[in-house]
Amino acid sequence: MSKPNDLVQGTLDLLLLKILALEPLHGWAISLRLKSASGDVLQVSEGSLYPALHKLEQEGWVAAEWKQTENNRRAKFYSLTRLGRKQLESEAANWQRLSSAISHVIQLSEA
Amino acid sequence: MRMEHWWFTAPLRLRSILRGSRMERELDEELQFHLEHKIADGIARGLSAKEARYAALRAMEGLEQRKEEIRDRWGIHWLTDFVDDAHYAIRSLRRAPGLTAFVTITLALGIGMTSAPFSMVDALIFRPYPVAHPGRIVTLVTTSHDNSLDSFSYREYLDIRGNAKSYDGVIANGNLGAAGFSAEAGAAPRVKGGMMVSGNYFQMLGVEPQLGRGFREEEDKAPGRDAVVVLGPDFWKTEFASDPSVIGRHIRLNGRDFTVIGVAPDSFPGMQVFARPDFYIPLAMARLFSTNPQKNFFEDREDRELYVKARLKRGTTVDEARNELAVLAKNFEREYPKVNHNRGAAVHTQFEMRTRGDDVNWKFSVIFAILALAVLLVACTNVAGLLLSRARTRTREIAIRLAMGAGRFRLIRLLLAESLILACLGGLGGIIVGYGGIQFLGTFRIPTELPVTIPFRMDTRVLLASFALSVLSALLCGLAPALQSTRADLVSGLKAADANVPGRKRLWGRNVLVVAQVATSLMLLAASFLMVRGFRRGVDEGTGFAKDHLLMARFDPRLVQYNAAQTQQFYKLLTAGVRAGPGVRSAGLTQNPPLGLDDFGRVAFVPDGFQMPRDRENFTSTMDTVDEGYFATMGISILRGRGFLESDSGDAPRVAVVNEQFAKHYWPGADVVGKRIRLDSRAGAPVEIVGIAQTIKYRDTGEKPVDFVYLPLAQHPIARMVLLLRSSGDPLQLINSVKDSVRKLNPNLPMLETRTYEDLYRYSAVEGPRVAIELVGTMGAVGLLLAIAGLYGLVAYNVSRRTREIGIRMAIGAGRRDVLRLVMRQGLALVGIGTAIGLAMGFAVERLMNSMLFNAGGVDVAAYVTVVPLMALVTMLAAYLPARRAARIAPTQALRYE
Repeated sequence: MSKPNDLVQGTLDLLLLKILALEPLHGWAISLRLKSASGDVLQVSEGSLYPALHKLEQEGWVAAEWKQTENNRRAKFYSLTRLGRKQLESEAANWQRLSSAISHVIQLSEA
Repeated sequence: MRMEHWWFTAPLRLRSILRGSRMERELDEELQFHLEHKIADGIARGLSAKEARYAALRAMEGLEQRKEEIRDRWGIHWLTDFVDDAHYAIRSLRRAPGLTAFVTITLALGIGMTSAPFSMVDALIFRPYPVAHPGRIVTLVTTSHDNSLDSFSYREYLDIRGNAKSYDGVIANGNLGAAGFSAEAGAAPRVKGGMMVSGNYFQMLGVEPQLGRGFREEEDKAPGRDAVVVLGPDFWKTEFASDPSVIGRHIRLNGRDFTVIGVAPDSFPGMQVFARPDFYIPLAMARLFSTNPQKNFFEDREDRELYVKARLKRGTTVDEARNELAVLAKNFEREYPKVNHNRGAAVHTQFEMRTRGDDVNWKFSVIFAILALAVLLVACTNVAGLLLSRARTRTREIAIRLAMGAGRFRLIRLLLAESLILACLGGLGGIIVGYGGIQFLGTFRIPTELPVTIPFRMDTRVLLASFALSVLSALLCGLAPALQSTRADLVSGLKAADANVPGRKRLWGRNVLVVAQVATSLMLLAASFLMVRGFRRGVDEGTGFAKDHLLMARFDPRLVQYNAAQTQQFYKLLTAGVRAGPGVRSAGLTQNPPLGLDDFGRVAFVPDGFQMPRDRENFTSTMDTVDEGYFATMGISILRGRGFLESDSGDAPRVAVVNEQFAKHYWPGADVVGKRIRLDSRAGAPVEIVGIAQTIKYRDTGEKPVDFVYLPLAQHPIARMVLLLRSSGDPLQLINSVKDSVRKLNPNLPMLETRTYEDLYRYSAVEGPRVAIELVGTMGAVGLLLAIAGLYGLVAYNVSRRTREIGIRMAIGAGRRDVLRLVMRQGLALVGIGTAIGLAMGFAVERLMNSMLFNAGGVDVAAYVTVVPLMALVTMLAAYLPARRAARIAPTQALRYE
């Protein structure tokens, strides 16, 4: 399994959940959204995007549905499930705790 | 959380299994959709179409790998992989039909050889009672000095039933032995075997009759009142052609009309392993079938004829039941000190009853099973050796697979799939072999009119066990080769077709196999030789009496309602009548001919003037009731004193003849003729010993000398007796004249078990051992054959793998003799180690068998003397042939050999 570059392990799930929490999207749109939302800082390899999405689907956190896009093409849209929302909350909280702890540590060492 | 998780994902998983192709299509479409956008994106940024496509694919980091990763996420890969493994395994096995056939046959023999003894072990030990919740049924017994598994009397049974709190129900049953049956009043009675049971028998066991009803409690209340009968399923089929209108009909049993009220279901052949009752009657009818007219079944507390079983209450443990029964037994002892002195009681589970110490059948079956497992082990060793060699030649293939990224676990699974398929094929063959074996066990027929069955059969339990054995042997044979071959060093594996450096470690596995082969087969051989010899010795040793020119026929005048006096008269007239016939040299009567199918009775006695140990009332000994012609007819010599005379009549002083063993036991070195014993207790009737008979074989041909007492028929009347005639010519010629004599006395009295004594002897003392000898012999032979084939294969293979090494040795100056010596020495060393281990194991098995079964004597040197050199020879040959070939080819060629 390929690891997302420059991403703390496990955070890809969090990002995907967060993006899907806003609206249902297909894979291509998710990759665009990831890039733009992080101001091109987070380069998620497209190779790891789809395995990650399928993993979320298997976990039951997102649901997939085939729908028409605006230019009338069939695409697989992912949306957050109730279970996914819970997962997002707990992972977001975790992330908050972790990042604030890390920034604390970093500030300490600089002071 | 887990539950919820499954709830969400289960449909998805199910979909991926059932609709794999659709999932594939959708996956393609999804990724294609992404690629198209990416390409369009690239073109928009000014790349050429080709460049854009290339860039898009590169961003995916390998489209196919991603797909595979996603498929893994679906969580069904284990299934598709397994199907793939199976396909692949079948394909590669097809490419090696010789190997497949050999392995299949080997495993079939191994598994089949095991399933036959397993069916015995199952029938004799493990098969549960065919009743509802069999696990809670326990057996109650009384214990005394001479019998730790004694039965209860009717009174005792009622007391236990009334007082014990541990059980949901307590049942009793008693054997009727032979009963005279006729379907209609007028017909001549035939002998059938039934069982008397307590009124709650069927209800407590949870057995629903397939027709009619079981007994009611009140039908078992008043002695002799309710003549009702429940038929056994087989009996109903054979005697009444499964006629449902049989309910309500009358049948005659021992001269009395019984109303048929029910038919037991097919699922309930009875509670015993070997006997299937033809019919069941209430205990209250016991007197009609009593074998012992001196005792009152319903009143006498020492008339112990009943086997008692009980169903434990839920939540009650066996220990609690034991404690309770022990208290009851103490009460009995206090209330009835005369008959219950020193008599305890015990509760046993089914398993404990089946594996009781005085029963040799289960011990034989366990030993058979152990031997069979040894054969299976040899078979598995063979197959493992073969697969190992095969895996070694596949080193390169496996190395390529590993190099291309196959996981080790995945490869092991692939190799295991192969051995699993082989084992399944072998298992199928094994079931066929096992079926044949069980049929063979079934060929042993017991010659009796009583409903005795051979309970060994191929049923689901045996099938399941065979299947489990197949899987187990797949693991046994497949795992080691799989582990070893996937451990191969990649680089050398790729370089050479076969990366065999003559490292000790590499050869170690196969050397262990060689040693195990030799050891196991030697052990097997020792055991087979010992058992065969044990059985044969029993047959050959002689019985102490003359078996030829003897005709026997059994009579039971109770079948025609004779009373005791009439019966005595009948026997007197019968013997007088037949003695006068032509061709009859002598005639005698016995309750049981020796080595017959029924067990001898026991007699309790106190030797006169003998200082009894404080804790015992009396001694017991096996006994027989015979008439004055018996000893002469059987050719049993009277060593001292005299046999019985006509003058030893009912009103003459009581006399007995004892055997030599008995005399030596109680009066060593003294003249026993004229000594007296008292029956039952110190206060019992005095009986004078008038003669010492030679000790013969009584119950089986392998037995050690036992105490034996003969009592004269006139002083110890018995209804059911066997007439023995010694003829000058063919004993069967006498049948008609005997029939005439009987007809003159009573035309309705049937002659039972009319046959030559040799016939009976053959069945009871020769046929059983023959079946055992053939079974064990086959096992030993198959085991040895497999072992030799395997040994040859392994050693030859080991040596041929060293061709290259031999080439090197010769290239640097070794002579052919050196090479041969090297190879042979190693082969011999392995056989030597194997022999040592095998000998040790053989000794252990011999010890075990001698202590468990019979005294077949010590170590069978002859067996080892023939087999050990044979093994060594095979090994030598197996090492020599490939070594000679290797030594012959030019070193240059050998070096390139692979």
